[in-house]
Amino acid sequence: MTISRVSGSRSYATAAFIILWLVIQIILPLVQKFELPTFRYRWARFSWSMYSRLGPRYEVRLFRIRDGGVAEPIPDVSRYVSGYRSPEPLPMIATYVSEEEVHDRFSRLVTHIARDRRDGYTYVASIRWTAYQRPIVPGLVEFHADAKE
Amino acid sequence: MPMQRNSTGDETGWFAEVPPYRLATLRVALATTTLVFHVPKFNALIDRYVASTFHIPPAFPWIPPVTHAGGTLLMGLQHLAAWGLLLGFSPRLSAWFLSAVGFYLISLDPEHYSHNAQFHLTLLALVGCSGERVTLSQLLRGDDSGDKCPAWPEVLVRIQASIVFFYAALDKVFSPYWSLSGGLLAAMAVTEHGPGLAWLQSVNQAAIRAFPAAMSVMTATLEFSLAAVFLYRPLWRVGIVVGFVFVMYLEFLLKPGLFAWDMLAAFLVMMPAGDRSWTFLHDRECSSCLRNWTLLARLDWLRRVRCVPAQEAVAPESPPALGCDRKHTRFHLISPRGREYRGFDVFRVLAPIFPGPVFVVLVLARFGGGFLAARGFGHWDDLPYLMLGALLILWLPEVPRLVSRPLYGAPRGTSRDGAVPE
Repeated sequence: MTISRVSGSRSYATAAFIILWLVIQIILPLVQKFELPTFRYRWARFSWSMYSRLGPRYEVRLFRIRDGGVAEPIPDVSRYVSGYRSPEPLPMIATYVSEEEVHDRFSRLVTHIARDRRDGYTYVASIRWTAYQRPIVPGLVEFHADAKE
Repeated sequence: MPMQRNSTGDETGWFAEVPPYRLATLRVALATTTLVFHVPKFNALIDRYVASTFHIPPAFPWIPPVTHAGGTLLMGLQHLAAWGLLLGFSPRLSAWFLSAVGFYLISLDPEHYSHNAQFHLTLLALVGCSGERVTLSQLLRGDDSGDKCPAWPEVLVRIQASIVFFYAALDKVFSPYWSLSGGLLAAMAVTEHGPGLAWLQSVNQAAIRAFPAAMSVMTATLEFSLAAVFLYRPLWRVGIVVGFVFVMYLEFLLKPGLFAWDMLAAFLVMMPAGDRSWTFLHDRECSSCLRNWTLLARLDWLRRVRCVPAQEAVAPESPPALGCDRKHTRFHLISPRGREYRGFDVFRVLAPIFPGPVFVVLVLARFGGGFLAARGFGHWDDLPYLMLGALLILWLPEVPRLVSRPLYGAPRGTSRDGAVPE
């Protein structure tokens, strides 16, 4: 019969680990949920806020234009972001991200594509919020990036 | 940190030594959900990440991105670690590796995050703290080596479940979508089910839409109560029953990834283990009895059942009404309180005695069925509800006798207690 005992200095290390674990598990969700120093409630990741908000719905269109012409598909768009298509709209849900994080992602994406292609086109991400977004978020947001030759 | 002894003789407290079977069962349960859901999902995230040239900056600038070669290696190692966890080979290393890789991937892109993934990775980390050394084959063998392991990982799992329910409830108090409005409940898209269960879902949805505020308050109250119950040992039994019903209801309503199944796995650390308080009676001379015992022993991961020859059970301390004149060629179980379950009746108590194997079967049914459902073969993901429904129906009077009749042969007749005589 073998008994795995916790004794001596190991027990102090274990106790320190337990305390650290509990402090993180109790404090982290609290500060995520209640913004400091105002203690205002907010939805946040790592706060065990399952199903506490309806994920904002949006449609994103990725395309490119030249000299104010019609929208053209971005060639080989899946090379930049796997699973995306162009120029058709793509319905999405911001389940675990904020509206600002969605804007930031697509702003960075068109900048990345424009830098990579350098073909004189303007690369556009057009985001139309369709449901459950916060009132301060505009209904339509577009990001443009010029791909200088 | 105190240590005390409870009425059943188990030592409780952070540094008490406890039977390793609860943590081993939790490990196997988590390994199953890891293999059927977590690893495929996170390997798909790695695959998608390395297939794209565009990435947003990681949560911290010092976190390295995944390369093609690194991604392939991580995917392979995740499979290896999940199997190691299941079989009990380097389980601590495997659990910590899976947890670390998961949090690494979440830190690379916030779109990789989900609450159910966070909970799964947290439980994996706690399993990585466990001192149990029980391989899957030892777990299935049914014998008790007498090994013990420190209790504190079990205690942390219970507190973790409590923390999750507490913060989920707190969110419902402050969220404008919940509190007294219940607006989110009324607008929530629920899961589709097959015939029969679809009707139940529509009734359920109608009730939610009719009383969203009441449902909101009830959900928050229930979650606060569960958070409290898990911290108080005398209430664990009721907590497990209420918690089981609640998370299965969530699963039925929303199918929230792994959350319901991981929470059920966490409940395993509140089950009794190593007490051998259930008795399996058998006839020494009967070969089918020994086969039955071999089967039961393989399911008895928590070491709750002891095998006793019926000839010895007539001793004065034995449960009443047992004698050598009865044949014990069918399943014959006696509960710790002396209640007898014979033949098909045994199926009634399978879930509370053998929660580990029942959990694994339900998970395989859910995610195996989900695999088929996703490929257009019908609502096979409803299988767990049908299985649970069948177990519930067995508690109706006379049902076990009616069900067992065609299996055990009606012409030979049945005894008064539902057992079929030889």
